[in-house]
Amino acid sequence: MATREELERPGQVKIIFFPYGKREWFAKGEVTVLEAAQAQGIDLSSLCGGKGTCGKCKVKIEKGIEALGPLTLQELKHVTEEEMKAGYRLACEIKPTTSIVVYVPERSRVGKQRLQTEGLEVPVKSLNPLVKKYFVELPKPTLHDHRSDEDRLLDALYKTHVIPTNQDIDFDVAIDLASTLRNANWKVTTVTWKDKIIDIEPGDTTNRCFGFAVDIGTTKLAGFLMDLNTGKVVSVAARMNPQIPLGEEVMSRLTHQMMKGWEGVQELQKAVVSGINEMIEECCQKAKVKTDEIYELCFVGNTAMQLCFLGIYGRHVAFSPYPPVLRRGTDIRASRLGLKSHPRANAHYVPVIGGFVGADSVADLMAVRMLESNEIIMDIDIGTNTEIAVGNKDLVLMDSCASGPAFEGMQIKHGMRAATGSIERISIDPETLEVHYRTIEDKPPVGLCGSALVDAPAELLKSGIIDLNGRFVAEMAEKTNRVRKGPDGWEFVVAWQKETATDTDIVITQGDVRELQKAKAAMRTGSEILMKRMGVTEKDITKLYMAGAFGNYIDPENARTIGMYPEVPLEKVVFVGNTAGTGSRMCLISKEERDYAQELSTKVKYLELAADPDFQTEYLNALYFPHKNLDKYPDTVELLRRLGRIK
Amino acid sequence: MSQEEKIFERLIQSVIVGDSEEAKKAAQDAINAGIEPWKAITDGLAAGMKVVGDKYEHKEYFLPEVMVAADAMYTGLNLLLPLLKKEITGEREKVVIGVVEGDIHDIGKNIVKAMLTAAGYEVIDVGRDVPTPQFVETATGQKARVIAMSTMMTPTLLSMKDVEQELEKKGLKGEVRTIIGGGTVTDDWRAKIGSDAYGKDAVEAVDKVKILFEEIKVALELAKQKREG
Repeated sequence: MATREELERPGQVKIIFFPYGKREWFAKGEVTVLEAAQAQGIDLSSLCGGKGTCGKCKVKIEKGIEALGPLTLQELKHVTEEEMKAGYRLACEIKPTTSIVVYVPERSRVGKQRLQTEGLEVPVKSLNPLVKKYFVELPKPTLHDHRSDEDRLLDALYKTHVIPTNQDIDFDVAIDLASTLRNANWKVTTVTWKDKIIDIEPGDTTNRCFGFAVDIGTTKLAGFLMDLNTGKVVSVAARMNPQIPLGEEVMSRLTHQMMKGWEGVQELQKAVVSGINEMIEECCQKAKVKTDEIYELCFVGNTAMQLCFLGIYGRHVAFSPYPPVLRRGTDIRASRLGLKSHPRANAHYVPVIGGFVGADSVADLMAVRMLESNEIIMDIDIGTNTEIAVGNKDLVLMDSCASGPAFEGMQIKHGMRAATGSIERISIDPETLEVHYRTIEDKPPVGLCGSALVDAPAELLKSGIIDLNGRFVAEMAEKTNRVRKGPDGWEFVVAWQKETATDTDIVITQGDVRELQKAKAAMRTGSEILMKRMGVTEKDITKLYMAGAFGNYIDPENARTIGMYPEVPLEKVVFVGNTAGTGSRMCLISKEERDYAQELSTKVKYLELAADPDFQTEYLNALYFPHKNLDKYPDTVELLRRLGRIK
Repeated sequence: MSQEEKIFERLIQSVIVGDSEEAKKAAQDAINAGIEPWKAITDGLAAGMKVVGDKYEHKEYFLPEVMVAADAMYTGLNLLLPLLKKEITGEREKVVIGVVEGDIHDIGKNIVKAMLTAAGYEVIDVGRDVPTPQFVETATGQKARVIAMSTMMTPTLLSMKDVEQELEKKGLKGEVRTIIGGGTVTDDWRAKIGSDAYGKDAVEAVDKVKILFEEIKVALELAKQKREG
């Protein structure tokens, strides 16, 4: 959902910083971008204190560069030609006179954005990558044995490794097959993908066989370099999805495609591939692997990510009834997509399910082995879109809820993505109403990130500052000066200005609480409708898997108190982290798992939430904390009663 | 408080607290007491809904409370509307409202519909995922001069543009006016596609619709003078 933005203020300009999503107004032509960043506690390095001498505060101007004027003398000392063409400037040297959008590249940051890549390790049915390497020694051609090089090779493969002789030799390999064999003195390693020989390497290189698994998240990318001989992860990397400036979430990216046609499609495709290539290079460097030792790549991501990554025009997926374009897995030459790997490496995109429930959900279900369970399991993958699955080996129903980016900090006054200085945990003493919080890397607070935005409504509710409707209780202003009327209505001060790294108190407003209500209600409705259609209740759920990187960081009790998920006993809630990444790795290293993914994508029944007749009623019910129907939350109600919040 | 005043108070309160049963009873009592139906609506149910709109704007009331209040209002209206005497109140101004083609989120639209009804307009609800031509056809068929469109998503913003183009094609631009709103809609977009108004929320929507009808009146007057003069 795009923010309803104020477009103009006289005498002021708006500066928006990506990837943080923070935006603020400043006096026109009087404030440098560096000063603006510092005023908001944004991580932008500066060693010289803004004099233009260290060149460390480079930023990329996404919008509004025209009005910035030519580069200054100081900038000319630090900004390269290529950077100039790409729109890079020194933040301390530019004073915007029009509103601008600024991207802070990784290298200009001091701290690191928390990128939550960890996921469950699940043993695969069998280690069986589609890429295989075979070492063979070929007899030299003689007058008595004048077989073609091709036959010689295929016969040797059959004799030594029992590989059928109908293998195809890729033409690019055939071109210099003759010299390759002779230069290697007839001792070579073939690299096969399925039944195609994609390379012939001199000597025995069978111990060097790598693959790369990726989870393309709407917001975050996760990459895993895998040793295909052992099936183990060799190194890991993560990045923010570079498509974000082209669209903060799924719908706006598809809109970008629509508004800009094929040019937009290319832009999105190139953007995400650049992030993936960065991860590949980082992993290869860390593991001392060459990028052309990566012979296959495997990808998961929701349906919109699938389209944007493959460069497929996806306009119609954005409109009701949201039919995907391709459902079954896709295999395409990696080089065609611009990926940095072996020139003839294959890129495999895992099958999708339906609507926006994509390969990442298939991967999730594989990782938790839902189709193998006798008991009913629920799996919730929280993100900008939250996917929920309920079922067991007999039937699995799945849906996708647009929870919106509130838990990423969007549309929340002091909201931000998790980064150095974000408040990530909040607690409020229900009696004294004193606040304790923890920030990332223990730096002075700069804003509130997702996990704090789950804590906040829960703690406010438990301490009686908001009621079950989500409304601020006016009388509480008499009990603590943290509850007060701010410029936008009621607000609660989480951190006073003197504690923060910004120029203000960090607050959570009535409006923020409303946004969080809407976000959690969307998710809760998703689970309620699924259970209804399955004919089960929360009492039937034997395990609740919370997937998604975000899920790892939230407090499960607070999440349940506000009604983000059904009241399942906390011992039954298992955090499994980035299972999409797990599933991607599983598909990379095992043909059986890949086939299983195919099966899953046909077996799982996708439910279109918006078409469900009960959706609206359930959504309105789910807006309350924890829910309109308190019978669904006996444990929570008991606690609230004890605290005196319910009669 | 007189008997009459008590009934008005009940009409207002039943909407504010969202009590459909009470709204129905109060409406029936109003009829029995001989209160003019249009007065019962304007000074009773609609007045209550305006208070609700206010509370919603101040974030005191949230979506469910507004919906429940709207339900109460409609329950009362169902009894009173059929009794309105057209000659006294005049034709109510008509507004066609719907969620554009490709989108099915209609809670926001329903709130605007309730507020417009409370403000005295006759609202023709064409539902959600409405095919573009249907907006225009309904407006012309029902003689509605304002089309109100809503969407919550970004790709479907283009459907609003389609409706504007449809109006252009049929030469109705100016005669039929449009107002747009929704989670992803901005005044910028209104300017881009040539819509006549933008409402940032249900309360503003009502104010803007009022202005649109005044503009239409003025335009009709000028056209009339031109013809006669």
